[in-house]
Amino acid sequence: MLNRAVIDELGRAVDSGKAGQQSGIITEANQLQTYECDGLTAFRTVPGAVLLPRNTEQVQAVVRICAKHRIPFVARGSGTGLSGGALPAEGGIVISFARMNKILEIDIPNQRVIVEPGVINAHVTDAVAAHGYFYAPDPSSQSVCSIGGNVAENAGGAHCLKYGFTTTHVLGLDVVLPSGELVTFGSETPDPQGYDLAGVFVGSEGTLGVATKITLRIVKRPKTVQVLLAAFDTIAAAGQAVSDVIAAGMLPAAMEMMDRLSAEASEAAVHPNYPICEALLLIELDGLEAEVDAQMLEATALCKQNGAWEVRLAQTAEERGLIWKGRKAAFAAMGRISPNYIVQDGVIPRTALPVVLDTISQMAKQAQLRVANVFHAGDGNLHPMVLYDDSIPGQEEIALALSHRILEVCVDHGGSITGEHGVGKEKQHAMSYMFSEPDLDTMHRVRHAFDPDNIANPDKLFPRPRLCGEKPGPYTPHPLETAGIAEFF
Amino acid sequence: MSTTDSTFASLRTLLGESLVSERQGKTVVSPSSTHEVSSVTRYADENNLTLEIVGSGTKRGWGNAMDSTIILDMTRLAGIREHVWQDLTTTVAAGTIWASLQQALAVQNQRIALDPLWPASATVGGIIATNDSGSLRTTYGSLRDLIIGMTVVLADGTIARTGGKVVKNVAGYDLHKLMTGAFGTLGVITEVTFRLHPTTKASASWTITSDQPEALERCRDQIVTSALSFEALQLRTCREGFALDLSIVSLPECMEDLSQILQSIAGNLTMRVAEPDVWLLREHCFFAENVTVKLTLSPTRITQFLSEVKAMGGEGVAQQCGILIATLPAEAEAISRLRARATAQGGSLTILQWPANAPSRPDIWGPTGSSFALMQEIKRRFDPNRTINPGCFVGGL
Repeated sequence: MLNRAVIDELGRAVDSGKAGQQSGIITEANQLQTYECDGLTAFRTVPGAVLLPRNTEQVQAVVRICAKHRIPFVARGSGTGLSGGALPAEGGIVISFARMNKILEIDIPNQRVIVEPGVINAHVTDAVAAHGYFYAPDPSSQSVCSIGGNVAENAGGAHCLKYGFTTTHVLGLDVVLPSGELVTFGSETPDPQGYDLAGVFVGSEGTLGVATKITLRIVKRPKTVQVLLAAFDTIAAAGQAVSDVIAAGMLPAAMEMMDRLSAEASEAAVHPNYPICEALLLIELDGLEAEVDAQMLEATALCKQNGAWEVRLAQTAEERGLIWKGRKAAFAAMGRISPNYIVQDGVIPRTALPVVLDTISQMAKQAQLRVANVFHAGDGNLHPMVLYDDSIPGQEEIALALSHRILEVCVDHGGSITGEHGVGKEKQHAMSYMFSEPDLDTMHRVRHAFDPDNIANPDKLFPRPRLCGEKPGPYTPHPLETAGIAEFF
Repeated sequence: MSTTDSTFASLRTLLGESLVSERQGKTVVSPSSTHEVSSVTRYADENNLTLEIVGSGTKRGWGNAMDSTIILDMTRLAGIREHVWQDLTTTVAAGTIWASLQQALAVQNQRIALDPLWPASATVGGIIATNDSGSLRTTYGSLRDLIIGMTVVLADGTIARTGGKVVKNVAGYDLHKLMTGAFGTLGVITEVTFRLHPTTKASASWTITSDQPEALERCRDQIVTSALSFEALQLRTCREGFALDLSIVSLPECMEDLSQILQSIAGNLTMRVAEPDVWLLREHCFFAENVTVKLTLSPTRITQFLSEVKAMGGEGVAQQCGILIATLPAEAEAISRLRARATAQGGSLTILQWPANAPSRPDIWGPTGSSFALMQEIKRRFDPNRTINPGCFVGGL
């Protein structure tokens, strides 16, 4: 718990002093509950206070107080994260960016936009669409998720196959370090002098500091977009079609796959008029009209060669929109076919798709649970959804175990435990399955250079909390523990 | 026995005679595996010795000068470890020559979409350490966008792997981004995994020339906002004044239409099929007697700075992404003023080459930014004894 004096100090840090302006601090228990978790609701911790700064100076003032009193802090955008990245630490505070949500500058000739971290992802595209540009990273939550959160998690989306991830599109950032110091990473020009700190900051899940201003790269909108829907009898056949499209030298804007369970759930939820099949493949091509026409012919032929029994090209923007609506509703649609579900996020080399999906299917049978699969097939990013019923005693534990084992299968096939949702709280344990101690120790060197006191979103991302100076390897008490100053919980 | 002699003898004992030699009074170690690199760095670190990492040496003159005890020759640590063409990835050892790697990938109609300097001799590791790039950067990004995993040896011998072999991966920190462009000051890169792109089915390059840079700038702005799918776009000085080079990639059946669109944009300006070496022209800025600099700029400032370079009596090649490689007269004050103007607009000027017989030069790197203290702390955490490439990077990192 934070004591009254600290709460007052924090309150003053976000008090603009302007008459009639709302308070910048929340301490009421019922209001604090809003911030006890993000999109991963399995973990909940009520924060000691929530701060709502209006500018970078106020963020600095808050973080300086945290540094002085060793108070853990976590930044929060819209709270849509799926790995517990914005979960508060016990006795810590939340810095909400709800009031720092302005687009500060639009520079079309240099193809960049400068935003505050609370700006909603889709609003960036809205702001530049009239000029023929868009902001490429498009997580499914793009209509509500914030750029600050996207930066913390290095968010992806369906279109990163062609356009890259958040890190590809962040040119520079103003960052408040855990000491409260304000620094600039990256630059509006290429190759700023020194280490690529913008590169290491994006995707660091709030463990290295807090971004308060972000310069984004925007992309010219392609002249033509076409979306193809193909129905297959097996996942393996659809997977082969994906490989054949890539082998033919095409780089589609997106290639998405849904299995029967997830397509049926989407159909029930938003009626995208999907054909009923074992594997539904969605291919989006963009570019010049003549190029897209020619490539679409080739892609269609490759789907048919691999046994697609229905190949449907969306004829209008509305039809395209509906196809995508079905795909983006896939997670939420699971609620229609199962009382509870766990969304997983693993990556495998594309070629391992058939064997991994087969393994997942066998594991599901053994566990007597259903697993629905949605994936960004072009880059091997799987989103298996483990369906269960928490009213059946013990089933949640079985579902969690299955979901974790799926990640290990991904690693066993040369993949990763997360492609876009982040490690956060959810996958800390899996980090040591994917990385060795020396790998993690090297990451800790970075962590400690930024945050020697371990106050920026502590107890996330790494397998378990480690204090600065603690040696890797088998557990040994930290000097601060032996001295009775610190404890592990 | 002198320090050099004892180092030489100890390293021979540690690694075997064939991997350790002597060149110009220095011990040269040529490891052939990551573990051997680890043995060398650990030995140097424990014995307060310093290491200079060297590949083919094409960019050895870049950065602050070093006087190290041991030369870590990376050229024996070479070869393609894996090319999973179906997954569009490859893993290679850092000493591999760039052109030989690209040739091997081309067998499957694939490539790393990067065109660095001196590809026939430069090594993968050296290109990454200096974050080199060329005309393809405008479309495909720089090395930070193309590298998906890396093996690194730290000064204390720690072997760390970062990233992985899949294109999409957000587990843990992107240490490979930290290593890219760090001039070897944080560790020795031993293996790298790249994402690959298909080779283009059809491409063609054109050059539009004018003595009026503003006319070419107008062309460039139209190209950037047009439907043309260009792969590379550069503005440079030339005999006629200025030239705008453009490479278009598309399907063979679309090329004719695209060239007509380009011709209509060029209007009355002279347009011709580009010379074959047009995308390598920046190498001409590095002739031995030249002062060579790298300017980084916002795209809208390129024309202005290229004109300044020409007015100073220099030549230059600027990529649309905002990197201008230029050769300039060896006038320290004029170059410092140019740097000040670039810095004031958010850019930078780095001196890549300064002939030994030229008058005294300005600092190689110029001003360090607000995050320099943090960079020093990172260096301290990775290499507390300043064993690897000490002092060669920005601000003596």
